[in-house]
Amino acid sequence: MAALQLLVNGVALGAAYALVALGFVLVLNATSAVNFAQGDLVMAGGLLAVAAAPLIPLPGIVLLPVVLVLMAALGLLLALAAYLPLRRRPPVSVFISTIAVGIILQNGAAILFGPEPRAAPPLFGDDTLHIAGLAVPEQSLAIVAVAGLLIGAQQWVFARTQLGRRLRATAQDPEMARACGVPVTAMILVTFAIGTACAGAAGLLLANRYFVTPTSGGDLILKAYIAVTVGGWGSVPGAVVGALLIALFEVGVSSVLSYPVALGALYLTLLAILVLRPQGLFGEAVRRRG
Amino acid sequence: MAERRSAVILVAGALALLVYALAFASPYGLRVLTVAGVYALAAFGFQIVFGLGGALSLAQGAFFGVGAYVTGILGSRYGFGFEATFPLSMLVPLLLALPVGLAVLRLESHYFALATLGIAQVLHLLAVNLPELTGGSNGLAGVPAAVLFGRAVQRGLPMAGLVWGLVALGGLIGWRLARGRLGRSLAMLRDDPLAAATLGLDVGRLRLAAFGISALFAGAAGALAVHTQRVVSPEVLEFPVMVSILTIAIVGGRGRMAGAVLGAVLLLHLPEWFRFLERGYLVVYGVALLLTVVLAPDGLTGLLDRIAARLFGRRPRASAVAMEPPRPPNPPDGLAVDDLRKSFGGVRAVDGVSLDLRPGGITGLIGPNGSGKSTVINLLSGLERPDGGRVRLGGREVTGLRADRLARAGLARSFQAAVLPIGVGVLEAVAAARLAVDPDAATAEAHARWALDRLGVGDLAGQGCDGLPAALRRRVELARSLVRRPAVLLLDEPAAGLTDGEKAELAVLLRELAEEGVAILLVEHDMGFLLPLAGRVLCLDRGRVIYDGPAGGVRRDPAVAAAYLGRAVPA
Repeated sequence: MAALQLLVNGVALGAAYALVALGFVLVLNATSAVNFAQGDLVMAGGLLAVAAAPLIPLPGIVLLPVVLVLMAALGLLLALAAYLPLRRRPPVSVFISTIAVGIILQNGAAILFGPEPRAAPPLFGDDTLHIAGLAVPEQSLAIVAVAGLLIGAQQWVFARTQLGRRLRATAQDPEMARACGVPVTAMILVTFAIGTACAGAAGLLLANRYFVTPTSGGDLILKAYIAVTVGGWGSVPGAVVGALLIALFEVGVSSVLSYPVALGALYLTLLAILVLRPQGLFGEAVRRRG
Repeated sequence: MAERRSAVILVAGALALLVYALAFASPYGLRVLTVAGVYALAAFGFQIVFGLGGALSLAQGAFFGVGAYVTGILGSRYGFGFEATFPLSMLVPLLLALPVGLAVLRLESHYFALATLGIAQVLHLLAVNLPELTGGSNGLAGVPAAVLFGRAVQRGLPMAGLVWGLVALGGLIGWRLARGRLGRSLAMLRDDPLAAATLGLDVGRLRLAAFGISALFAGAAGALAVHTQRVVSPEVLEFPVMVSILTIAIVGGRGRMAGAVLGAVLLLHLPEWFRFLERGYLVVYGVALLLTVVLAPDGLTGLLDRIAARLFGRRPRASAVAMEPPRPPNPPDGLAVDDLRKSFGGVRAVDGVSLDLRPGGITGLIGPNGSGKSTVINLLSGLERPDGGRVRLGGREVTGLRADRLARAGLARSFQAAVLPIGVGVLEAVAAARLAVDPDAATAEAHARWALDRLGVGDLAGQGCDGLPAALRRRVELARSLVRRPAVLLLDEPAAGLTDGEKAELAVLLRELAEEGVAILLVEHDMGFLLPLAGRVLCLDRGRVIYDGPAGGVRRDPAVAAAYLGRAVPA
């Protein structure tokens, strides 16, 4: 029964991590650039929800569209400032420019909000449901439902719509896509908007039960990065599965030992994976573009 | 000329700092200056591993923190003196860097960044969660002052003097490393790891050396930081330290020791002008970093260089006196290939190719596009690993050996598209091919000059590689192979894009090389160029050898004609 309880908690956490990793891997595929600011964007989404909550005294679910739109706009800004000017330069330039954006977000948030942990309102309610002996917080169910819905919506857009086909074409081979008349730059901007909106949504989902501080982005980017590495660099389903695995690992080890031990074990596992199986557990999805 | 100008600027800068420290700086100002020196020292190491080596190590801040904790723990808990704690503060980060580096340095750069960040996080967790050793999140207070020659180095001017003395020493060492063989080899593999490997540079070993050196510098800086602060806490292991080092190196100018000093002095003083931001001063670093990466990727020193070039004209590139590179003592006598195989997915790119390259012989390799010619060269030069078959270099088994080992064993290759580095001088680009064998960069340049002279392009030595016309690029590329005195030379379409006159010159040169005993494999489409030159010709079709015989017979061979013209082979 205790294991089942942990499973519920782990899946809820994993659903939020999956959104973070998803946003990271979408941008990675479209630009072959590592967006190091992804963790800080999650933090920004969380704090945005915290700031908006007093203005909109309704359940958190109403805040979701607001956060999504504002974060998508932030994503466009990120692409314009830190990616587009550097697209012809070596990939490490974008790595550094997004580190810079992360620093600005993190310390800007520290100036605006101070270092204390903040909590965003729950999505629907704060009650705990008792189902067959399990204590399931409503918020956990809501996180799983909302994250599942958003990931499903993203998958639907990518698989079924003209926009999605263009986004996938851009991710697969930008030169070829351009030759076929796909507006590649616009598609990259849209990808950044979607990726950042995913981060923002994750921020809103996490900021209730797990709180948010200006420095919480650091661990999140590492976890997104680990999820994508575990799932196979560039694989979208792999990133989601990787995120779930990480969350279950974290919840499981924390319950037996402690959170710092879980975190340490996670990083050590990452190092072991990098050394023994750098292509990830399920194989690398993208080869280096020549 | 240019050297003297840099030296004048450097001395003037040092004097200005000295005058400021002695006459104008308040005690607080001296402290900021001291910390700037500490960060400059840490940034030297980062310039070597990232600036030159291109490996984005996010562990530089962690090594700094480890150095700090070693001095803190040994100094405050066990009463060790400076003469023991300082070397140990450098040694422990090095001992940490070596096994980590061995494990992850061959990974692609984003994985390397991730792995080093992971290590940094583990160390931070340890510092917070092992209070018996580290004092936990409060850290350790009461670290003694550094004691030098029996006298305690007090805070203020003495400490600033010690730190900046070590900055001068470390900067000199870093500068010499950057300008010498190590720095040039690192820059070469940063710009093009594949080409670097085919020129005999061991990517892993070089990166490991750079990573180790970066740890030494970081550890020394961490130790000095603790002697300045007199306390050590987990803050030294937090990400802001790494961010500061990264920003200093990039804003100052990637790979430049002067850039590290300039960046450190500037960025450590910057928060003083943005006091109202309080602890959020790192926002300023973020903005500075972003602006530099986007607007001035060469950093401040790069900007200063450009301004100086505007004012005083371009610095002339160094020219060297030609010197013939020695032949290797026991060159392998040719390359024997037996039943070589390679598949990509389901496609058999190379299917049972055997060939024998003898010293003094020119062997032609022809075949329609996609028949596997370039794959054969990639397999022989170690860029791809064969699935099956044997390769022997002078009787020695070399099947599946890494590219750099094959190169050092006497094999050289050219690429179909000449891969000269961007923004590098011709002489330097050719000298890069000798870095794996010559004792120093000056010797390598003298040898490079010989190779350029021999190919009749000695007057290009002072020029840059960018903007050379195709024919000259090919010459420079060939000089890179020639300068290594290879026993076996693999050339991938060396005549492509040349005029008839240039082709004739190339033919003469290749004959000369063969007469000197080089075994040459020539992939070529131009039969008019190839057939008179080659003694023997192999024709590939879909990965298989369909003709192997004298050059004269190839035109009359029905299978070859069929492969080129697409007719079925008559049974």
